[in-house]
Amino acid sequence: MAEQILSVGIDIGTTTTQLVFSRLTLENTASLVSAPHIEIVAKEVIYRSGIHFTPLQTEQEIDAGKTRALIEQEYQTAGITPEQVQTGAVIITGEAARKQNAETVLQVLSGFAGEFVVATAGPTLEGIIAGKGAGAAQESKQRGATIANLDIGGGTTNIAVFRNGDVLDTACLDIGGRLIQLRDNSGTVSYISAKMGKLISSMNLPIAVGQRSTAATFAALSQRMAQVLEEVLGLTPPSAELQMLLTDHDLRRDYKIDFVSFSGGVADCINPLSAGDDYQYGDIGKILGQAIADSKILRQLEILPATETIRATVVGAGSHTTSVSGSTISVSPLALPLQNVPVLKLSPEDETLPIPLWGEAIRKKVQWFNLEGEKQNLALAFKGPNTLSFDDLTTLAQGIISGMAEILCKTCPLIVVIEKDLAKVMGQTLRSLLEFKKDVICIDTVSVENGDYIDIGRELADGNVVPVIVKTLAFNY
Amino acid sequence: MRLQTRISGATYSFKDLNEVLAKANEEKSGDKLAGLAATSVTEMVAAKEVLAGITLADLRNNPAVPYEKDEVTRLDQDSVNETIYAELKNLTVAEFREWLLSYEVRGEDIIRASRGLTAEMVAAVAKLMSNLDLIYAAGKITIIAHCNTTIGEPGVLAFRLQPNHTTDNLDGIRISTLEGLSYGSGDALIGLNPVNDTVESLVNILNLFQEIKETYQIPTQNCVLGHVTTQMEAVKKGAPADMIFQSIAGSEKGNTAFGLNASILAEAQDLMLKEGTATGPNVMYFETGQGAELSSDAHHGVDQVTMEARCYGFAKHFNPFLVNTVVGFIGPEYLYDSQQVIRAGLEDLFMGKLTGISMGVDACYTNHMKADQNDIENLSVLLGTAGCNYLITVPQGDDIMLNYQSLGYHEAATLRELLNKRPIPEFAAWLEKMGIYEDGRLSRIAGDASLFFRK
Amino acid sequence: MVDMESKIKQLIAAVLNEMGVENLELAGESQAVAVTEPLTDLTTEDLREQLLVPEPENREAYLKFKQATVSRIGIWRTGPRYLTRPQLRFRADHAVAQDAVFKDVSTEFLKEWGLPEIKTRCADKDEFLTRPDLGRELDAENATLLKKSCQEKARVQIYVADGLSSSAVERNAKDTYQALVQGLKGHGVEVGTPFFLRYGRVPAMDAVADILHPEVTVVLIGERPGLATAESMSCYMAHNATTGMPEANRTVLSNIHQGGIPAVEAGAHIADVVKKMLDQKASGLNLKK
Repeated sequence: MAEQILSVGIDIGTTTTQLVFSRLTLENTASLVSAPHIEIVAKEVIYRSGIHFTPLQTEQEIDAGKTRALIEQEYQTAGITPEQVQTGAVIITGEAARKQNAETVLQVLSGFAGEFVVATAGPTLEGIIAGKGAGAAQESKQRGATIANLDIGGGTTNIAVFRNGDVLDTACLDIGGRLIQLRDNSGTVSYISAKMGKLISSMNLPIAVGQRSTAATFAALSQRMAQVLEEVLGLTPPSAELQMLLTDHDLRRDYKIDFVSFSGGVADCINPLSAGDDYQYGDIGKILGQAIADSKILRQLEILPATETIRATVVGAGSHTTSVSGSTISVSPLALPLQNVPVLKLSPEDETLPIPLWGEAIRKKVQWFNLEGEKQNLALAFKGPNTLSFDDLTTLAQGIISGMAEILCKTCPLIVVIEKDLAKVMGQTLRSLLEFKKDVICIDTVSVENGDYIDIGRELADGNVVPVIVKTLAFNY
Repeated sequence: MRLQTRISGATYSFKDLNEVLAKANEEKSGDKLAGLAATSVTEMVAAKEVLAGITLADLRNNPAVPYEKDEVTRLDQDSVNETIYAELKNLTVAEFREWLLSYEVRGEDIIRASRGLTAEMVAAVAKLMSNLDLIYAAGKITIIAHCNTTIGEPGVLAFRLQPNHTTDNLDGIRISTLEGLSYGSGDALIGLNPVNDTVESLVNILNLFQEIKETYQIPTQNCVLGHVTTQMEAVKKGAPADMIFQSIAGSEKGNTAFGLNASILAEAQDLMLKEGTATGPNVMYFETGQGAELSSDAHHGVDQVTMEARCYGFAKHFNPFLVNTVVGFIGPEYLYDSQQVIRAGLEDLFMGKLTGISMGVDACYTNHMKADQNDIENLSVLLGTAGCNYLITVPQGDDIMLNYQSLGYHEAATLRELLNKRPIPEFAAWLEKMGIYEDGRLSRIAGDASLFFRK
Repeated sequence: MVDMESKIKQLIAAVLNEMGVENLELAGESQAVAVTEPLTDLTTEDLREQLLVPEPENREAYLKFKQATVSRIGIWRTGPRYLTRPQLRFRADHAVAQDAVFKDVSTEFLKEWGLPEIKTRCADKDEFLTRPDLGRELDAENATLLKKSCQEKARVQIYVADGLSSSAVERNAKDTYQALVQGLKGHGVEVGTPFFLRYGRVPAMDAVADILHPEVTVVLIGERPGLATAESMSCYMAHNATTGMPEANRTVLSNIHQGGIPAVEAGAHIADVVKKMLDQKASGLNLKK
C-alpha cells in the first residue's frame, strides 16, 4: 500500500556543507471505496552526512569541483546513486548565495544529485525551510502558537515566524558567526565582512584584518549583534544598524511572539554550558552564541528547543520541500519533469467573473508575461469554482485554450494548476478539445501564488500523483 | 416441552424452540426480512405464553445453533458453572423473570446467577420483559471493569469520545478529541473508527491519542477500531494501544465473515496483556448490533435478539472492558423506526448486564430510518436510568465518517446532571483540575476546545 | 427610547454579521426593504468558518483546526445544551437527508435528460427500504421494457438508480455521466443507452446485465445520506456482471458530491477505471492497479 521515495537535501552554507537523505512515505489515505488520496504520511531522515567546511576557491568563490567531489563521496558512503533519488533540494544559503559562482555550483550539482533535484535560493525560502527543519512549523501548529525560528549560521540569520503551522512573517539579517574570521587562537583577524566592517566602525571598535583584538572586544561586537536581534524581535527599539543589517525586509512586529527557537550552527553555542575554546572554529560564533544567551531574548521570551540545530536547513531541504499533487490528475508523462516554471495566477476578482469571460481574463494576464523564447513556459493557476457543471467545464476549458493561445503555439506543454479537485476532468477536456495533439499537465490540490516557481516531477504511486515543489521567492510583500 | 397454546379461541403451535424464541420478539423489521417474525400481535403473545412455560434446562439443551456446528455455542455452553446452573435449571422463563425483578434478589445474586446461564436463557427472559422491566432489572446489576481506570461503579456514567474523520486527518481528529474533552466526554474511551484499516494509519492515530493523553495527563484509555489483526500488527510495532477492538457476531459463521474466531481474539487479549500500554486486566472492546448476523446470512434461522445475546456470551469469554451495541446503525430493514430502536437498546443493555459484561450503548440512527434525534435523546435517558456503563458521543451527534447520528458531546454533561451521575472518578478529578468541571458540572470555560491551546 | 432601539438594532446587526449574514436590512426600516432583503439559507452557512464560542482561549488556532474537519466543532452551549442556531441547523440537515431518502426522483428530471424509466419489484419507497431483496430484481414486464429501450451488448452500459438518495442523483448524475462519456470517447469506447432504474439497489446491476449483456456495467446510485451532505452519489462498476457473482467483483467509487470528489472529476476518474476493466477484462478485487 505504502510507497517510499528518496529525497535528498543539500545545504551549501557560508561555513558548512551538509547532506541528508530522507525517506518520504506516500500512502493512499482514502478508503477503498473513495477516489485515491495520496499523502506523504511519514518523513524520516535516513542518512546524515558529516558537517564539512564548504570548499572555497577564494574568499568569494565556492570551489564547485571540490564541493561536487565532497557530495559524491557522501553519496558513496550512504550507498545511494543519483538515479535512486526522486526529489529534493540543493540550497546555497547565507553569504554564499551571493558569491559569484553560485549559479555554476548549482548547475554542477543539479545534474549530479538526481534528475528532479532542484536548485533553490533566496533568504525567504531559506528561513522557511530552516524553520520547518527545526520543527518550529509543526510545533506552532500543535500548540496553536506563534513561534519565531532564528536560524543563525555563519553568514546570515534567517528568521521565519510560524503561526498555527503557517508562515506568518520572514526576515534575513547579515548576522552570523563567521562574518569575522580569525587566523589563530590568539584573536588575530583574517576576514571581516563588509557589513561587519560598518558595524565595527559605528561602534569605534579596534577590530581590523591582520590585527589582534581581545575577547572583550569581540564580545562587545557580539552583544551589539545580539541587541539587533532583540530589535528585530521587538524587545528593544529599532536602530539604524538594524536597517543596515537587514538583507531585504524587516519583520512586521505587529503580532505577539509566543516562543522562540534557535537553529543553525550558532544555536549550539547559545547553551551557556557549551564547552570548548572560544576560538575553536576560527571565528566568533561561540562568542556570538554567548552574547545571545545573555540577551533579552532568553530572558523575556520563552525558548523552545529546536528538533534540529546545525542541520535544520539541510533536513528542511531534504524532508520539507516536496509535497504531492492531488490524486486524480491528468499529465502527459513524457513532458515531465518540469523545473522552474513561473506561475501565473488568476486574481480572486478574475475568478468571480462569469465562466465565459475567463478566457479573456487569462489572455490579458498572459500578455503581461513577457514570453521569451520557445522554452519559456508558464503554469496557469487558479482556485476554481465551488461547483462546476459539465457544460461550464467545457466553456472554461475553451477559455483556457483561447487565453493561452500564445503558449499553445509553442512546443512546451500546457500547464494548469488548480486548487479545487478538478484536474483530471479539466485535463481530459483540454486534451479532447485540442484533439489530443498537445501535451497537457493538469494538476490540482496545489496552492500557488503569483511570483512562485513550481517544479513538477515524474508520476508516483501508480501514476496517481506527481511530486511538486513550490518555490516561494517572496512572502507577503 | 409444550410448544402450543390457545389465545382467544385460536390454537397456536410452533415447530421448535427457535420458532418460539423468534415469534416471541417484539416487532422487528429484521425478523420480518428473515421470515421469522410472528404474523400477528396475537401470535407474538402466544409465543410469549409458550416461552413463559419453558424451563431454563430446555433452553440449555436446545441451543439456537447446534453445539457441533458452532464455536460460539460451544464457548457459551462450556463456560457454564454447573453448580449454579443446577440451582436454576428447573425455573421456567416466567419464574426466572419474576426472580430477577423481585426485591429479594439483589444485584450480587444476579451476577452469581449469570455464571449459570446460556445466551438463550438471557434472550428468552428479555422477551418476556416490558421496557420498564428491562430498565428495572438492568438497573439492579453493577458490572465493574478496569483498564487504566474503573468503569461501571454505581453513580458513574461514562462516555466514549468518538472523533471520527472522513480521511483520518490527524488535525481534524485532534480538534474533535479536544472538543469532546472540553465537554467532559472521553472517560470510557477515546476511540476512533478509522477509514483506513492499515497498520501505518492505526499507528499514527494511536500516537496522536497517546500524545494528547500524555500532554494533558488524562486518566483514560484509547483505542483505534481497526480490524483485530491490524491492531495486533500495530501493537507489535510498538503502537501505544490500551485496548484491542473487534466487531463480533453471535455465530461462528458471522464471525468468519468478520474475519475472526475465538483463538484470534484470545491471541489479541494475550498480546494486550503482555505488550499493551494499559494497566488491565480488562483490555478488550467489542461492538455488536441486532441484525448483523442476518446481514451476512449467518443467522441460522435464529431471531436477532437471540443472536445478539449470543454475542454477549462470546464477548464475556474475553473479559472485555467495554462492550456496546451500535443499536440503530444497521438500518430500517433490521430496526424500522424509533420504537424498534428504543426496544432493542433496552434489550441489549439488559442482556449484556445479565450476561455479566461491562455494557454500553451507541444510541444511534441512520437517515433512512424513521427516527430522529429526539428519539435517541429519549433512549439515552432510559439507558442512563438503567445503569448503562457508558454511551457514545460525537460532535453534536453527527458522525461525519460513518454517516449516522449518535449522541453529542453536550449530552454527556446533560445526562450526568439530570440523572445525578458523575464521570469516572479519576477523570472527574482531571476535569476539575483542568477547570472544565466546577462543582460537578460544566464550568464557564467548558466547551472551548482551544483551552488546550493555552500558552 | 429611540436611542435604545437603535442600539438594539446595532447589536442585532453585529450578531448577524458575526454569523455571516451580510447586507441584511433590519425589519422595520421600510416595508419594501423587508420584502426584498436577501435571505440566508440555514443549510449553506459554512460550518468550518463558524465559531460560536464567545471568548475562546485561542480563536485563530481553533479556526485553523476547524478547517481540517466538517465535524460540528466550536458550537458552544447554553447551560449544557445546544445553542438554537446549531440545533436548527442540525434539524435542517436531517430534514434534507430524510427528504433525499424518502422523496422520489422527479419525472421532470428524467424527462429533461430523456431517460427511459424502469422499475424494480418494489411497489413503493417503504418496501424499497425494508426489502432490499426486492430492490435487486426486475419483473418480466420491466425486463421486456428494458430490452426494448436499450441497445444490447454495449461495451459499456451506464445507468442511473435512485438508491438511498434521490437528491444525489438529481444533483450529480448527469455531470458525471457527461464527463464519463467524454472520457470513454477519448479512449475510443462507445457506450450503450442510458436509463433510470427506480427503487434500485446496487445488485440490480446484475439483473440488468443479465438482460442487456454489456461488457462493463456502470450504475450511478444515491448513497445513504449523512448530515454533512444528502447529495453523495456512488458509482458501482463490474465486468461481465451477472446474478450471483461474488460481491468482490464490484468496483466502487463513493463520495461523489461537491464536498467530496466533484461530479465532473468523478466522471473522468471512472472513465479511466472502466478503461482498465475493458483492458484487463476484470473488475473488483481482480482489477490490478
